[in-house]
Amino acid sequence: MTTLYIDDKEVTVPANTSILEACRMHGVDVPYFCYHPELKVAANCRMCLVEVEGWPKPAASCCTPVAEDMRVRTQTETLKKDRKMVMEYLLIHHPLDCPVCDQGGDCKLQDYSVEHGASQGRYVEPKRRTEDKNLGPFITTCMTRCIHCTRCVRFAEEVAGTGDMGVLNRGDHMRIDSIVEDTLRSELAGNLAELCPVGALLDKPSNDVSRPWELERHHSTCIQCPHGCDVIIESRGDEVIRIKHDPEGAEAWICDRGRYVYDAFRSDDRLLVPAVRKQGELLACDWNEALTRARELLKDKKVGIIFSPSWSLEGLTSIRLLHDAVMNEAKVAFDLHRRDMRPFAFEEGLSMSTAEIEAADEVVILGSDLRQRLPILMQRLRRRVANGKALTRIGAMNYRTNTSPGKDALIRPRDWPAVIARAMEQLKDVGKGSPAMEAWLERVPARHEAGKLLADALMAERCAVLVGEEIRAHEDAAALIHGIDLLMRSAGHGEAGDDGRNLIPEGMNAQVLSAVFGDIRTGVGELLQAAEAGELDALMLVGSDPLGDGLFSMQARRVLRQVPLVQVGAIGGQIAEFADVQLPAAAYSEIEGTFVNMEGRVRIADKPLRSIGEERPLWKVMMRLTQELGADDVPAVSLDELRQKAAVFMPELADVFAGKKGAEWRMPTARNRNARCLPSGVEPAMALDIVSRFSMYREGAWARASGLLREAGQLFALPDVLVHPHTLRQLGLEEGECVIRTASGEITHHVGTREDVAEGVLFVAKRGGAGDLSTETSASLRGV
Amino acid sequence: MIPSDPSKVTAICFDRIHLPGQATLEVARKNGAYSYLPTVLNEMNREQIIEQVKISGLRGRGGAGFPTGLKWSFVPRNTGKPTYLLCNADEGEPGTFKDRDIMRFDPHLLIEGMIMAGFALGVHDAYIYIRGEFLHEANVMNAAIKEAYAANLLGEHILGTDFSMHLTVHRGAGAYVCGEETALIESLEGRPGRPRFKPPFPAVEGFYRCPTVVNNVETLATIPAILEHGGQWHKQIGVPNSAGMKIFSVSGHVNKPGNYEVPMGMPLRVLVEEYCGGLQHGDVPKAVIPGGSSTPWLGPEHYDVPLAYDEIHKAGSMLGSGAVIIMDETADVVALTRRLSHFYAHESCGQCTPCREGTGWLERVMLRLEAGGCNARDIEVLQDASEHMAGRTICALADGAAAPILSLLRMFPDEVNSYLAENKA
Ligand SMILES: Cc1cc2nc3c(=O)[nH]c(=O)nc-3n(C[C@H](O)[C@H](O)[C@H](O)COP(=O)(O)O)c2cc1C
Ligand code: SF4
Ligand code: SF4
Ligand code: FES
Repeated sequence: MTTLYIDDKEVTVPANTSILEACRMHGVDVPYFCYHPELKVAANCRMCLVEVEGWPKPAASCCTPVAEDMRVRTQTETLKKDRKMVMEYLLIHHPLDCPVCDQGGDCKLQDYSVEHGASQGRYVEPKRRTEDKNLGPFITTCMTRCIHCTRCVRFAEEVAGTGDMGVLNRGDHMRIDSIVEDTLRSELAGNLAELCPVGALLDKPSNDVSRPWELERHHSTCIQCPHGCDVIIESRGDEVIRIKHDPEGAEAWICDRGRYVYDAFRSDDRLLVPAVRKQGELLACDWNEALTRARELLKDKKVGIIFSPSWSLEGLTSIRLLHDAVMNEAKVAFDLHRRDMRPFAFEEGLSMSTAEIEAADEVVILGSDLRQRLPILMQRLRRRVANGKALTRIGAMNYRTNTSPGKDALIRPRDWPAVIARAMEQLKDVGKGSPAMEAWLERVPARHEAGKLLADALMAERCAVLVGEEIRAHEDAAALIHGIDLLMRSAGHGEAGDDGRNLIPEGMNAQVLSAVFGDIRTGVGELLQAAEAGELDALMLVGSDPLGDGLFSMQARRVLRQVPLVQVGAIGGQIAEFADVQLPAAAYSEIEGTFVNMEGRVRIADKPLRSIGEERPLWKVMMRLTQELGADDVPAVSLDELRQKAAVFMPELADVFAGKKGAEWRMPTARNRNARCLPSGVEPAMALDIVSRFSMYREGAWARASGLLREAGQLFALPDVLVHPHTLRQLGLEEGECVIRTASGEITHHVGTREDVAEGVLFVAKRGGAGDLSTETSASLRGV
Repeated sequence: MIPSDPSKVTAICFDRIHLPGQATLEVARKNGAYSYLPTVLNEMNREQIIEQVKISGLRGRGGAGFPTGLKWSFVPRNTGKPTYLLCNADEGEPGTFKDRDIMRFDPHLLIEGMIMAGFALGVHDAYIYIRGEFLHEANVMNAAIKEAYAANLLGEHILGTDFSMHLTVHRGAGAYVCGEETALIESLEGRPGRPRFKPPFPAVEGFYRCPTVVNNVETLATIPAILEHGGQWHKQIGVPNSAGMKIFSVSGHVNKPGNYEVPMGMPLRVLVEEYCGGLQHGDVPKAVIPGGSSTPWLGPEHYDVPLAYDEIHKAGSMLGSGAVIIMDETADVVALTRRLSHFYAHESCGQCTPCREGTGWLERVMLRLEAGGCNARDIEVLQDASEHMAGRTICALADGAAAPILSLLRMFPDEVNSYLAENKA
């Protein structure tokens, strides 16, 4: 620690802190442009000058470390003049177009100009001309306004990892440019608009739509991935104008999916009024009529309910209450990506915080496209690699991460048992075997060298294992996860709060789902199979879209054609076509509610937007339905009551709602200590393993309802079916039309090639003609 | 031969540059090059060398005048990283042309100095970053390096010792700012030459973030004599706090412009009149830039200033790189300043707000001033915009850009006034 004096006040800060950070820690206001707490120091704007006693010249506080007994002055006559002059330098080429600039009202340059600048500039020479850039679908540029702070360049390099922005030329010809005359390819691009201190980089979709002072800000939780970032929803009246990252939140950035989904809030796909189908047509009606129709379809019937995990904790609890009160026999499912319903040794959710993962000695990603799935966690891992720390990845695709994991192995999903077995052998060799391991090993004759990477990483003191969708969706997932659990135990990672077992969930609230539905859940596949077999009279989809998402689209399509459907949700989407009744539920921006993210962090949203139509919070819809279906007592008539009911499933929640747990408290993930699943030993029926691709721009009903995300999805799309070139060559085939054969039939489709797919893997996008391939796990290829 | 009696020394770096064939190893060796090197490698250790350089009072000849021995002693040991030695041969400061002569006429002197410095610092790889325009000099250096490798003066196990050092010439691409040591490092790493902020200093985190010493050509070329004759010997040359000989590149209105190596402390007037054949016009100069275009100007009242660090500092300027630019009464100081302001606007790397925007702005106002389009308010702009550049940026280029304008306004207000629109008309 270092003690120094800032404006005569004694302060103590960690050694090597910069003066600027010391000032910020102690509430001393020093103006700055180029400094950003998440980026490396550039020290180029020179706005942050301070004086240090005994030093002949002013010092840039952002790049000057504190020293013992240093006496810093932040407010002197000289500094006042310096700041005024820096403002004047910055403004000589800056256009005076604040009235038409979207940044106006929320602009550092404008604010500092008022605070530190002169009322009039003295520059009378010609102004600099600039060219605007193409930075992709989300960012619009007005480079005359650029003050060359290089925050954007550092962001592209250090955070996005794309490095495709840079500085060209020198002196006052210097300009920020995208190095390639092409769009910025980053899933984090939207942050640039927030990062740019002036109006040079602006949010393209919301540009020219509103002024900052017209907007209301609502704290909320993004539900677009299990990360559940803190966001600020900005609205004008009831209209969502844009979504921004929450400066007081846990992370410094949000991804483009979570940001540009705002387009969906105002899309035609929103369900805003109740509707019933009459003579084949969905017609708007009032709540009573819709509920009556729903009753006809559901009361005393055999019902299947598939819901989306991303509702609030209260909404999810209300589904359980509905079930318990009036639909005891209903089959309930929610995970569109789980084939193996046996209990997992460690259930979905992370045992570590993302910060802990970033700091761990070793991190192993097992079968996950983290950049698409969890872009903000990937960003942390990128920083981890940049700081020289290890990252290991094993999986079916060399997913482009804009960083290079030091250790990387491509495998087919059918290799997982052999990978784990190889790792077990290695632990055995160093005397860390166990009888349980022997039993597991007995079932797996093959060994795969990729297992060495896993075993090596597990030898570290703190190893974060991130188990991804390639394992979670595996037909033998429970056995694989049991195998990984055995490995971790043997390697000394005994069970503890943050023991490195991290099963990346499909959506939000994984811990809540385990607690509230653990005892009644069934698999979506099983549910749909029952429906197909005529065992169900009706289906209720609550925010879930099994046609667009998950691994059961083919069955879902058949079932929807034959079974009546009650659709409850905020987005109609392609499901609407099949709905007999629609009950509109409020969007996540419009409710008070509680959300739990993959780390178990709990966030309570309490300043919602008003609903724009007749939609109601899900819990109210469920309680109304419960009443309609004949319950004598409605289980909960207020949010408070509902929360008490939720606490029956999760006792810790009582404390959370009473405000007794801090913001850092995390809900633990579920464990099944007795789940001892051994590998099935069943080989896939056909030669190629199918792995289905996750696109952050296309997955989920919300994303599909956003025109902005759809546009980006098209821009960044890969061919729908991809294999390694060797795979084709071995079959004597060439890139182009091929016949793809699976257990459910044949389709002819274009097959593209890419070196970073594992050999023997058919990598498919969940859309278009290829979409249904995700339903199967293996395939074969032949020529047309 | 350099005499071992300090009072008899007439040259150090230039001692042998006039000898025919001195650029070849054979001749250079005949004339004594590398003769003391085996003694240094076999009989001195790193501490002893650094100690001698400290005693010698040698200060960096590149511009800042930082004590060389002290700089070397800042290099941390046992970091697990390599230590690099970079020779700054960018020689971009307007008015400076001394390093060029050392390199083209006596390349082995520089090589020998670098071997000794490299040995003292535990260096395995050293580089000469040479100004891009110095193609001939780069060729001469490369030929000499090739010969030195062949003679086992460079490479593995130099002269059969445990010490190995490689030396590579890297040609710059013509940016003045790449002479600033951290920009030089960036450039050598393959990036645009933009200075780094300090700390960390290169001695701790320099080339590829490893400990690095950057020294000027003349600084390094002085090392062989210091080690051969001892630090004490060198300290006795010159004046207190400004030890040794210094090459002054004299240009401007003198009858015999050129490079002159003289003992430090020699009065400016002596240099001009006894060495440079006097002024072209008049008895005293109108103005003198004593240390390269980036240093503040001195007036006729300082014609007798001793050419030494402290004395020139006291007079209000800096010894800089030793580039003395003389202006006699015929000089158009406004035109000259305008030309220099163009240089700095062109050469600013563009990172720092004051330098990026200030240098361009100043040039445009100077152009207007020269063309008779300015009024008194513009003079205020010149003053303010320069004052707030100096000392407020990452590197000292901005100080250099401000120096001519501040000097002009301070020393020649009347001449400036005569250019104002109202007075022109
Ligand atoms: C803009 C600028 C240009 C410089 N150009 C040179 C140069 O061309 N040659 C040089 O030796 N030093 C130059 N320097 C000084 C170097 O930064 C550095 O101080 C010097 O190389 C250190 O060597 P020395 O200690 O031997 O003098 C320059 C400094 C600045 C700020
Ligand atoms: S575009 Fe914005 S963030 Fe980038 S350098 Fe310019 S002002 Fe800074
Ligand atoms: S002072 Fe000028 S040349 Fe030096 S770093 Fe800053 S902008 Fe670049
Ligand atoms: S914040 Fe320190 S120079 Fe920009």
